[in-house]
Amino acid sequence: MATTLALAGNPNCGKTTIFNALTGSHQHVGNWPGVTVERRSGFFESPDGPVEVVDLPGTYSLSAQSEDERIAARFVADPAVDVIINVLDASNLERNLYLTTQLLELRRPMVFVLNMMDDADTNGLKLDLHTLERLLGGPVIPTVGNRAEGIQALREAILRVAGQRAGAGGTMNYGHDLEGELLNIVREIERDEVLAQACPPRRLALELLEGSPAAAGRVQRSHARRAVTAQVQASLAFLESHLGADGATLVAERRYGFAHGLAGEVLARSGRAKAGFTARLDAVLTNRWLGIPIFTAIMIAVYSLTFVVGKVPQDWIAGGFRLLHGWAGAHLPAGELTSLLVDGIIPGVGAVVVFVPVIMLLMGCVAFLEDTGYMSRAAFIMDRLMHLMGLHGKSFIPLIMGTGCNVPAVQATRTIEAREDRFITILVAPLMSCSARLQIYIVIAGTFFRPVQAALAILAMHLLGFALAMIVGKLLRLSLFRGAGAPFVMELPPYRLPVLKSTLTHMWEKGAVFLTRAGTTILAGATLIWFLSHYPGISNRSWTEELHRNEAAVRLLNLPAAEEASRLDNLNLDHQSRVVNTSLAASIGKALQPALAPILDPGRDRPEAWKDSIALTAGFVAKEIVVSTMAVIHHTQAGDPDHPEHGGLQEALRVHSGFTPLTALAFMVFILIYTPCLGTVGMILKETRSLLWTGFSMAYGLGLAWLTAWFTVLGGQALGFS
Amino acid sequence: MSHNQPKPLSSLHPGDEALVFQVLAQGRIRQRLLEMGFIRGAHLKVEKLAPLGDPMELVIKGYHLSLRREESQCILVSEED
Repeated sequence: MATTLALAGNPNCGKTTIFNALTGSHQHVGNWPGVTVERRSGFFESPDGPVEVVDLPGTYSLSAQSEDERIAARFVADPAVDVIINVLDASNLERNLYLTTQLLELRRPMVFVLNMMDDADTNGLKLDLHTLERLLGGPVIPTVGNRAEGIQALREAILRVAGQRAGAGGTMNYGHDLEGELLNIVREIERDEVLAQACPPRRLALELLEGSPAAAGRVQRSHARRAVTAQVQASLAFLESHLGADGATLVAERRYGFAHGLAGEVLARSGRAKAGFTARLDAVLTNRWLGIPIFTAIMIAVYSLTFVVGKVPQDWIAGGFRLLHGWAGAHLPAGELTSLLVDGIIPGVGAVVVFVPVIMLLMGCVAFLEDTGYMSRAAFIMDRLMHLMGLHGKSFIPLIMGTGCNVPAVQATRTIEAREDRFITILVAPLMSCSARLQIYIVIAGTFFRPVQAALAILAMHLLGFALAMIVGKLLRLSLFRGAGAPFVMELPPYRLPVLKSTLTHMWEKGAVFLTRAGTTILAGATLIWFLSHYPGISNRSWTEELHRNEAAVRLLNLPAAEEASRLDNLNLDHQSRVVNTSLAASIGKALQPALAPILDPGRDRPEAWKDSIALTAGFVAKEIVVSTMAVIHHTQAGDPDHPEHGGLQEALRVHSGFTPLTALAFMVFILIYTPCLGTVGMILKETRSLLWTGFSMAYGLGLAWLTAWFTVLGGQALGFS
Repeated sequence: MSHNQPKPLSSLHPGDEALVFQVLAQGRIRQRLLEMGFIRGAHLKVEKLAPLGDPMELVIKGYHLSLRREESQCILVSEED
């Protein structure tokens, strides 16, 4: 039977580098069942067979108050775990030992890893490893995580301990009064065998004294609930009167007392500590005056790297898919299957792949900021502003990156630990106006406004998005995510140099996971939209034959090549317009028209208003294709998409669409807010793993867009515009 | 103000040092603060305030931690003797 290890430790203790060093490339990233927390596991070969290593979420405690802690607490208590490896940051031993006191209560074979030994050395700390081994009752292995030092010794120690199976040595004593009460509670727990077997009774008794709701719930389901609850009440009353504090305080005090005593015994300061590198860096990076300018500069750098540098491979990918699209269109026999491939699947796959460069770059930057320790400083600097919105300091980076593209922005919310904060950020991130929406504003505003007004209107869209994110964030915090908000108690870890290899691995994984998980959702959606916008016209034989006849007629004219090409293009466009304008999407558009009329056609004088809903439906696939769809439905050439002159389309919109400046503005507002694009929806589904929240995100976007656009029209009319 | 009168942590200024007297917060926040080292008698030092005035950075148990005003108001501290 394979041996299973659980890797437990505080956040920032270098657990992941130990995990990487142990397992090499034999890793698997998944999710813990039912939650969105990443589950990393891997294995290494040993003479006794394969050894599985499971990396638990980094936690300060096992008190099961947060999602991460619940997962860690449940897994270390699982009988399938043979050895618990507790990774400790040697340069911050006392706080790290708090978790150790809880792990020791599980009475399982344990190995202790003293990581960051180099940091301890530079801080002038010497550790007495033998005494530490004796007091903890298990092997202690010193390592320097990012240099793989000590990993072989760690493997050997694991195999040695895995054979023992029996409960390990070290225990801590909670003092006379507390131990007496623990014994009383344990005696009551042991009356119910089921309860006593589900969890070590002493550990359960401690949790009850601490007032853990999860432990109380477990007791409530047992036969012995009355006796146990009565005993806990009596014990708490006794302790309160004798020691002058509640159970939670007493237990924490004793644990820290143990940690303090232990650290005091094994740590010796040799020589003077050098003036801290972290302290000197923080004097600048979180400085009262310099903090915000430096943060802004770093954000600009990350933004440019992601969206300016990332645009280069994005353009290659888009160009490659255009070539493929053109080639397939020219060489495959015309028909429905070809259309599915050429107009449905190829652009659909293209729309997925095109996100990969920005996702990898942004996630690489985020991983770099996290690994260096700057991410928590960024949260420290921005928290006041974000807290006003009902968000966390760490929400700022996803929101700002949302102005480039919402898809990686939603993924970047991974850095936010508390579920409530993360979900609110995911739900408001699509309100940030992305670069794809900018293209639509440029066409619309450029058509219906004078140049300066157009620039102001475009700026107003971005500000409106941010303002709405603030309001919606606050409202969500006050309604759906009320109550047990996670406290903002955030460690500012020492600055560290990240390991390049792990950053690269991280980037690669994020790209791959996006392709496999979100990719399928996006492709399915793109195919559905293709179907809606091509049927039934595409299967109309006589239309297709008419197109072929006309094409043949043009070729017979022996015109100059340029003119022939342009005439053929026009014929194709006629055909496409006819198909789209009679499609299911058009029928839906006409059916929906009354619902959109108050905002897009308040005067009921726009015969072509139903075409807007086709463009909006297409925009659900990707906001990038709204402009080209409008060109097809308004029966004109969009022009070169890389040069936003869009002359033909703007002319057609001005003459035929019937938009007034006011309804054009309402259209822009609607585009800003309505349902996120498929890429974002796929990502939201992947990150929340909840159809309900994904559906909520789509529905509230639609509702809010309608309301805001309607207010725009009403406000405009009140001011005398029409 | 008397020498050893407990006062909220939020009233301290950068550079001030104090001892934890009592955590007034309840529930989840209380548990988290205890776990992070806010136990009776623990020594802490206020390092700085964020550029926008909140949160606060402090050193406790040898590591750096940031706390919002909401949380630091619920921690009573007393001056060292």
